[in-house]
Amino acid sequence: MSALYDLAVIGGGIMGSAAACRAAAGGMRTIVIEQQTLGSGASGVNAGTLSLQIKRVKLMPYAIKGHELWEQAGEHVGFHKTGGITLAFNQREAELLHERMALKSEAGAPVELITPARVAKLEPNLSRKVVAASWCGEDGYANASLSGAYYRTLLEAAGVDIRERTPVTAIDRSGGAFELATPAGPIRATRLLLACGAWLKGAGAMIGLDLPVRARVNTVSVTERGPALVGTVIGHATGLLTLKQKPNGSVLIGGGWQGTGSPEQGRGSVDPATLLPNLRLALFAVPGLDRFRVVRSWTGFEANVPDFYPLAGAAPGVDNAFLLGCVRGGYTIGPYIGALMGDLILGREPELPLFDPGRFASTASEA
Amino acid sequence: MDGDLRIGSAWTRKVSFRFDGEMLTASEGETLAAALYAQGRRTLRTSRDDDGPRGAFCFMGVCQECVVSIDGRLTEACRTPVHEGLVVESVR
Amino acid sequence: MSDYDLIVLGAGPAGATAAIKARSLGLRVAVFDEASAAGGQVYRAPSPARTTTQPEADQRKGDALRAKLATSGAVLYANHRVWSLTSGFSVIAIGPDGPLTLEAPNLIVAAGAVERHIPVTGWTLPGVIGLAGATILLKAHGVLPGRRVVVAGSGPLLLLVASKIIAAGGEVAAVVDAAPRAGWLAGAGAMLARPDLMAKGAGWLLTLLKARVPIHSGAAIRRVDGTDGVETVTIGPVDRNWRPVDGTEPTIAADAVCLGFGLLPSTEVTRLLGAEHRYEPELGGWVPAVDAALQTSVPGLFVAGDGAGVRGADTAPLSGELAALGVARRLGHAGDLASQAATIAADWRRSGRFGAAMSGLAMPPPGAAAMIDAGATVCRCEGLSRATLDSAIAAGARTLADLKATTRCGMGPCGGRVCGEAAAMLIAAATGWDRQTIGQPSARPPLRPVPLAAIAAAFDYDELPIPAPAPL
Repeated sequence: MSALYDLAVIGGGIMGSAAACRAAAGGMRTIVIEQQTLGSGASGVNAGTLSLQIKRVKLMPYAIKGHELWEQAGEHVGFHKTGGITLAFNQREAELLHERMALKSEAGAPVELITPARVAKLEPNLSRKVVAASWCGEDGYANASLSGAYYRTLLEAAGVDIRERTPVTAIDRSGGAFELATPAGPIRATRLLLACGAWLKGAGAMIGLDLPVRARVNTVSVTERGPALVGTVIGHATGLLTLKQKPNGSVLIGGGWQGTGSPEQGRGSVDPATLLPNLRLALFAVPGLDRFRVVRSWTGFEANVPDFYPLAGAAPGVDNAFLLGCVRGGYTIGPYIGALMGDLILGREPELPLFDPGRFASTASEA
Repeated sequence: MDGDLRIGSAWTRKVSFRFDGEMLTASEGETLAAALYAQGRRTLRTSRDDDGPRGAFCFMGVCQECVVSIDGRLTEACRTPVHEGLVVESVR
Repeated sequence: MSDYDLIVLGAGPAGATAAIKARSLGLRVAVFDEASAAGGQVYRAPSPARTTTQPEADQRKGDALRAKLATSGAVLYANHRVWSLTSGFSVIAIGPDGPLTLEAPNLIVAAGAVERHIPVTGWTLPGVIGLAGATILLKAHGVLPGRRVVVAGSGPLLLLVASKIIAAGGEVAAVVDAAPRAGWLAGAGAMLARPDLMAKGAGWLLTLLKARVPIHSGAAIRRVDGTDGVETVTIGPVDRNWRPVDGTEPTIAADAVCLGFGLLPSTEVTRLLGAEHRYEPELGGWVPAVDAALQTSVPGLFVAGDGAGVRGADTAPLSGELAALGVARRLGHAGDLASQAATIAADWRRSGRFGAAMSGLAMPPPGAAAMIDAGATVCRCEGLSRATLDSAIAAGARTLADLKATTRCGMGPCGGRVCGEAAAMLIAAATGWDRQTIGQPSARPPLRPVPLAAIAAAFDYDELPIPAPAPL
């Protein structure tokens, strides 16, 4: 008979790990089960942007808390608070910027509009074609590549068991516990948290849920190291560009341009047809990039549900099972919402409300 | 290292080019990496990690050790033919 | 309507032969190569800077191949760097005239091989070059690697490079071969199948013996020293498993080192397109899984030459013909293609045994990781030592992706093509895992660094296809 855990978390990304750490700190015997390695999914391959300017208005309080947690993690995650500038290059984009930043400011983000002259002073290597811009001093970035290593340390310190390279192939209930089938043998736990990002739909199906989870295939590119061009995080009014230069001189370019493939197919691929405008937008914003070479582009799956708000709460109709994922801005918000989830599982009142997955309550059996 | 490492055979006409301001010659059509290596200019750049000298290693466009700057663009010296008036700068 | 029936990547002996064969079967064919002329590494066209020379055998073969390709009707896109591909297939390249994308329903990847490297302290000094690089310097450019050279590593390129240096008037201070002398004898059975190539090897050896070159078998470089370039090379003995053992460690004066440990199939394209791969040590490492026609698990995606498994340049043309026949059959061409293919396949298998035996001779046993000192730079692009990688492995890194994430190993411009093997050897040494378990590095575009300005080309900002903004 295998040991009985108080909580089994499927998914060793930021959210699952953060929830596991909180649950373990609250006294639960916890295990994290990861199909690949810790932080190998979206947690590890996103662009690492920490920008309040691109967070959803309703998620702003969570994002602000997330920023605080990443700042505390500091050099372990390559945290840098650089400030961030969002750019508009024509009147239409300027209107979009004004409208959006006003709402984000109301929601608590310290965002202010700045003049093109101020932009040129802050970042002399940016395009002179800026017609409007906003600034947020809280913005910055961390190194998403370090997510796995960072949470490995935290999980080990919290006494959480870790099973990597361990896909869960089926979930059964027996004797009031969940029994998770894996190639390395069954794992039993009284509570279950599904926090497996883009693979949430498949995991949900194992407990009879038909979750409306889809995956975006976000593209990120990096250049080789080069001379210093920009010091802040650069964005675009439409949200379709994030750009920052790391202290080592490499430039990371993202913005959510869509590649091809799906989690079910097992891999995503860069689509040259969307990579091209992504790089052109970057080059337009930072003309000095014409001296840089791109060394690698890749994709990561970002899960979402139709309303683009998180799934975070009790699994509808399945006692002792919980769901966590589909958080837009999940890298920023992940550590915080993961901890809130841990509190919920511990039976405590979370500091901020969670996002009940019951709003999509249609189970596979009903469907 | 002294002398020229080119193996005795007939070569095309000499052309001049600049490497970090120094005027050098090569045979027209020679790759930059071969031309510099042959005349003992094996250090093409300085490593930004250990400040050590670096030079061409694979000569087939894979290792990127021989990258130089031409017209502000990073280019592999081993894939760049020398022509008259070429201006080459080393990079860090 | 596709631009071509077939696109061939690489115009070496495998790719060029594939293109010629496919043209002879009436297919519309395009060939891409990074170099300015066809020929690949072994039959690389001589530098245009050298006006006359008595062409040697390899050059004559290369000239004949180039002439045949030129008149075949296949379109050669020379000086084109293929930086990405999509399934189905689009080939995305940058050439002298800017970006170029071509489409074809069939692809033959004849990308050849890259060299396997086992880092040693001091190998970043100018004057330390790859063995494969040395053959290019000597044969294509007519340039000696140095006046007094140490030739070190493993496999048949040791003898080739050393004998070429001597023939060109240079001095070989030592040949340092990690394999024990007995290893060569063990491979002799397979070599007897190709007496012509045996004779070639014996000729190289004779050149070395005549020049009284010291040949150290079961030995490896301990370190290379110098200020601005190579000045001295310290060598020492290794055991049958290539682990350094106690013994005399002579220091040799030299101005250059040629270093390499055999060849690795270039599988970036087949990995990028999602083909299945297997780890086959006798073929140089990871190779695409193929059927009898050299078609991979991705329909229409074929491989030929060393990229299908290192078997050498003499075998490569047969695999090119085989793949071309496979493409023609896939396109429904009639005729006795099946029996032709069967005959060629038999020749190819026979011929390939020699190359595979040679490749196996160069293959480091697991103990070879011990040749890498803690302080040796493993990832040259990012300046990472073995000690740095070892501590990341100790902290939990188990894959090349993990190592990249935590240390940036392989994240630089070479994309892990120089350090990836060594990094995998270090993970294997620390964990005791086999290479299948550790897995391959993921392939991502661009396959080589490409200037952002070259990809972007000229564009109009107002015409960028900006999707609707994200929800507020």
